[in-house]
Amino acid sequence: MILGRFLAAAFLAAATCGAAVAQDARRGAELATPCLQCHGGNGRSQMETIPSLAGQPADFITIQLILLREGLRQAPAMAPFAANLPDRDIEDMAAYFATLPPGPPDDRRPRDPALIAAAEALVGPRHCATCHVADYGGRNQIPRIAAQREEYLAAAMTQYRDGTRAGPDTQMNGAVVGLSDANIAALAHFLAQK
Amino acid sequence: MTIRRLFLGAAAMLIAGPALAQAPVPGWAIGRPEGSTLAPHAPRLTVTPLDQVPVAALRLPPGFHAEVYAHGIPGVRAIAEGPNGTLFAGSRGIGRVYAITRNADGTTRTRVFAQGLAQPSGLVMIGNSLYVFAVNRVLRYDNVEANLDSPAAPVDLTAAFALPTEQDHGGNHHWKFVSLGPDGRIYTNVGAPCNVCEFDRDRFALLVSFNPDGSDRRIEARGVRNSVGMAHHPVTRELWATNHGRDWIGDDSPEDSLLRVRRTGEDFGFPMCLGTWSDPEHNRGRACSEFSQPAALLGGHVAALGMRFYTGTMFPEQYRNQVFIARRGSWNRNRLSGYDVVVAKLDAQGNVTGVEDFMTGLRDDANQRFLDRPAEVHVLRDGSLLVSGEQMGAVYRITYRQ
Repeated sequence: MILGRFLAAAFLAAATCGAAVAQDARRGAELATPCLQCHGGNGRSQMETIPSLAGQPADFITIQLILLREGLRQAPAMAPFAANLPDRDIEDMAAYFATLPPGPPDDRRPRDPALIAAAEALVGPRHCATCHVADYGGRNQIPRIAAQREEYLAAAMTQYRDGTRAGPDTQMNGAVVGLSDANIAALAHFLAQK
Repeated sequence: MTIRRLFLGAAAMLIAGPALAQAPVPGWAIGRPEGSTLAPHAPRLTVTPLDQVPVAALRLPPGFHAEVYAHGIPGVRAIAEGPNGTLFAGSRGIGRVYAITRNADGTTRTRVFAQGLAQPSGLVMIGNSLYVFAVNRVLRYDNVEANLDSPAAPVDLTAAFALPTEQDHGGNHHWKFVSLGPDGRIYTNVGAPCNVCEFDRDRFALLVSFNPDGSDRRIEARGVRNSVGMAHHPVTRELWATNHGRDWIGDDSPEDSLLRVRRTGEDFGFPMCLGTWSDPEHNRGRACSEFSQPAALLGGHVAALGMRFYTGTMFPEQYRNQVFIARRGSWNRNRLSGYDVVVAKLDAQGNVTGVEDFMTGLRDDANQRFLDRPAEVHVLRDGSLLVSGEQMGAVYRITYRQ
């Protein structure tokens, strides 16, 4: 019985390591070359409405690319790139973007204390840090939203609120329900300044 | 621990109170203690290579054997079987319906039968027609097994069923499980529009049935927070269902439950009660004895999903007409629970005498990790039992040899 348990534990470790090795960030870097045109040479987007991918959790990028490929998330600019992407390419590119150091875009605007204060009143009741974690760096399927492009964050939250975007589950649709445009603008600014 | 949790819950309510005026706390987060970092686990929507499917980790009672029946099926959940043996499998996040056929050499072939659907988790076969329930959308694919590669456009029955939309549910418990009753009616769930809240009890937290054309909606049971598995007893023909307990009120209560519906329309108590457990925030002074009691309690947050009565002959006699239940596994709990298949043992009167482990080995308690998430069970005609593993996109087959 104890031996069986030990073997089971050894198998678990092996299975998990196998999964980790399967994602090849170096291969992903080559595949991701076209992505950098819009998402930024270092994965930090300098282009309006295009999100930064540097430092995003690999699971998040993988799941979003699957949703885009399957037509379950609508982002017309991404449709031709996501169509027919093999799972392995997606996982490798996700592994690559996860290795890039995150940071704000070069054109980040100055802090607006009024917007920061408005957002600080919202992030507690909305439990943003519960899933996105205390530094808003994300984890697993939950994205890094710290230092993301402000107008992108606002657009994403608006889509979740209006039911035009869903994740692999509907946590974000529930999280933003009832937010006003002003609430969203404040939250986007607050997170972009992180 | 319990007192601390209650205190945290109360503190969260106080914090949530004033915030309501500004912006409502979302339904799923009601009661969530400040500082908790519990969140649903990430699904895996990519193909898991066969050598990473954790079949070798499965533990079963003596004489039982597990093998991989089919794999490379991301997000596989509910299974419905066609007259010619094609298995149709639903999913949630990846939006696909799969068709799994068996090759002459015993291997399987999986096709993507339909895609781009919103959470097509409810499947039922009636004759040669496959019904797909994708939230409120209901699609009927006719003569389906003859057209696996190029299915004809489905008949859209959405308006006839008139189920609440995702928006009506506020983004909560809107996905479906569907089962065919012995009376030829379609049985499904309409989950609660929140973690816990006040809502229209004639519209949500129900088990309902319909004629296959969507007419004659009937409430089979009320006060059922969310059922993602149901089946009729093969002898008594009573409806049984699994039911998920609410979140954010503690690790161990209220428990998930197995319900036996003895009378059409009976009330299982949500949000006031679950069994003898009275909700401290939503009880409204009601005695829990007023409500129908669950047939069995299945554990806190275990996420009891698919359930089937064992009607085959391959397994030993003691399993005949007993209930196999897939427990997908917890997220709203400090330590993982579930991630297994259990058997509810019934006596001759249909009373549950115990709930026993059947398929374990997917939960790694020491490291608080899981290897797969059982979401559905299905009895094949040869008496073997299929278990769909949603996380790894695999279907396991359990056989018995003396």
